[in-house]
Amino acid sequence: MQPLVRVQGVSKFYPRVNRPRERLRAFVSLMTGNEILEGAEVLHDISLEVTAGQSFGIIGENGAGKSTLLKVLTGVISPSRGSVEVNARVAALLELGAGFQPEFSGIDNVKMKAALLGMSSSELDSKLDDILAFADIGDYVYEPVKHYSSGMVVRLGFAVVSACDPELLITDEVLAVGDESFQKKCIRWIEAFLERGNTLLMVSHSMYIVQKLCRQALWLHEGKMRDIGDVFPVTQAYLAYHEERSAAEGRQRRSQKGDSGLYRIKDFSLPGKSGDGDLAIAQGGDLEAELVLYSPDGRPPVGLFGVMRADGTPVYGIASDYDDIEAERLDDQHYRFRICFDRLPLLPGSYSIRGHAMDPQGIRLCDTAELRFTVSGESREMGILRLPHRWK
Amino acid sequence: MNLFTHNVFRQLVSRAVRTDYLENLTGFAWLILQPLILLAVYAFVFTTIFKARIPDAGAGGFVPYLAVAFWPWTAFSEAVLRSSNTISANAALIGKVAFPSELLPLSVVTATFLMNMAGYLAVLLVLQLMGTPIHWLGLFAAIPVLALLYLFASGMALFISALQVFIRDVSQILPPLMTFWFFTTPILYSMSIMPEKFVLVMKFNPMSWYVDRLRDFLLLGNYDLSLYDLVVPLFTVLLFWASLVFFRRFSPHFEDFL
Repeated sequence: MQPLVRVQGVSKFYPRVNRPRERLRAFVSLMTGNEILEGAEVLHDISLEVTAGQSFGIIGENGAGKSTLLKVLTGVISPSRGSVEVNARVAALLELGAGFQPEFSGIDNVKMKAALLGMSSSELDSKLDDILAFADIGDYVYEPVKHYSSGMVVRLGFAVVSACDPELLITDEVLAVGDESFQKKCIRWIEAFLERGNTLLMVSHSMYIVQKLCRQALWLHEGKMRDIGDVFPVTQAYLAYHEERSAAEGRQRRSQKGDSGLYRIKDFSLPGKSGDGDLAIAQGGDLEAELVLYSPDGRPPVGLFGVMRADGTPVYGIASDYDDIEAERLDDQHYRFRICFDRLPLLPGSYSIRGHAMDPQGIRLCDTAELRFTVSGESREMGILRLPHRWK
Repeated sequence: MNLFTHNVFRQLVSRAVRTDYLENLTGFAWLILQPLILLAVYAFVFTTIFKARIPDAGAGGFVPYLAVAFWPWTAFSEAVLRSSNTISANAALIGKVAFPSELLPLSVVTATFLMNMAGYLAVLLVLQLMGTPIHWLGLFAAIPVLALLYLFASGMALFISALQVFIRDVSQILPPLMTFWFFTTPILYSMSIMPEKFVLVMKFNPMSWYVDRLRDFLLLGNYDLSLYDLVVPLFTVLLFWASLVFFRRFSPHFEDFL
């Protein structure tokens, strides 16, 4: 099948043009027919093919080149190297403001935007009521756009885009500013749009929205393609990258602070575990955990265990001081807690257990470690745990 | 021009007309008043103080002679000045929507000409009513000249607005340059009172042809043609074409420089 979008080896340099002399030099090098291949490289060797009916989420950190890639795709900027081919009626909603002119009224901007999206004025006349109904901002459409809230701008922008019936919709992180009900409306519209066999390319920082709307994902990292493929593996890898990074930052902060006064986790383990994978226990089995804490001043710290579902929903938490349990002293600075959850009432699924180190008063949480485990079984019960029950 | 471009262009022109002329209270009145006041000042200075004599001024004397050349010049210079920074002024649009950005300066030139030509017609009517015989038949010859002037302004606008993106100083240099151009064009005076050695130099200024021919057609009823009447239109068309090529060569890079 002929791809709708074909991007081949695209790189993009932004020339340094802050000072007049740099501008002039860049201009002269353009005059002499050279492409500018120095300056800030925001995209490096991107290749991408999108076929009709696909929905692509583009994810990545701030400054990874996501918006630049969308600009290249829509033809707003030209790539420094490589080629871009788009064979579809495109509607793009890039950034907030959507190219609206702030001094003009909403209705004027709708007319302009509609013309820019390729709608004729008679087409617009017949659709204007739909657009205003979709945007649902009342008499504000007659006010200059500069008086709008950012949500209202996006409402109006999305309303025009939705009316022009594109084959390929390209949006930047725009849904995020709409309120809950408008976001839902947009998501419903995009879902219907995709069901009609159309194509979507969107940038979002919300993995929830990406996973909901997209079937493929592209992870950009520092202008390069880091991962591309089905949405779930890519977004999970991306989230894992972030978790790792924030954990690394946390470790760094701790090591900068030094050891003094901090109760830390020396070791956290699930004794029932064997091999490399996560601990698997049968439904109704016992869960044992062991937490070794380090105490810089020799006083016995408080240990805290928490169980939660894989998505982070807390299930149960218990601290040693609630039950008046003293830590088992291993040496001057190490203490151990062992806990066993007998006949675990959790239903089959993925869970994790956290161990925390707290100060001796049980007030400050000093350190956290997390291990995953699964509960296996064949139960058709719903929810997280089995509640004791009897039918009458 | 395809349908898409046509629609966008119409929107841009109507937008330019409204912001520049109709949406401020005095806009439309100012459009007529400003050249009228300037015209009155020049007329006073040159006829009363300097007692300027224009030998070939025609039946009406100095004021109609000046007015017929002054409005087209105003349209031209206003169009070029207004359009010079359209690209930077519309950075938000250019950065977010893909469309032929040459429409931006062209729409400003078009709006300026539309409004000023309405003023020009009004002025011609006023002159007629005040007793200056206007050669209305000459209007048919003047219209192609004005159309060429519009093309000339468009070419200048394309070139300058593209250049301005890369060299910001253009906005500062342009107004004095236009003033210089105004005084080196036979608007306030006639080519015929210039010393012979300057005449040839002044013929290199295409603007001289425009004002001269407009006076010939509208005031004097002189329809003689010469080689010069081929050279300047040809130059205008070439300039427009070259400017369009220049603009399109650099427009893909505007975003990088805005």
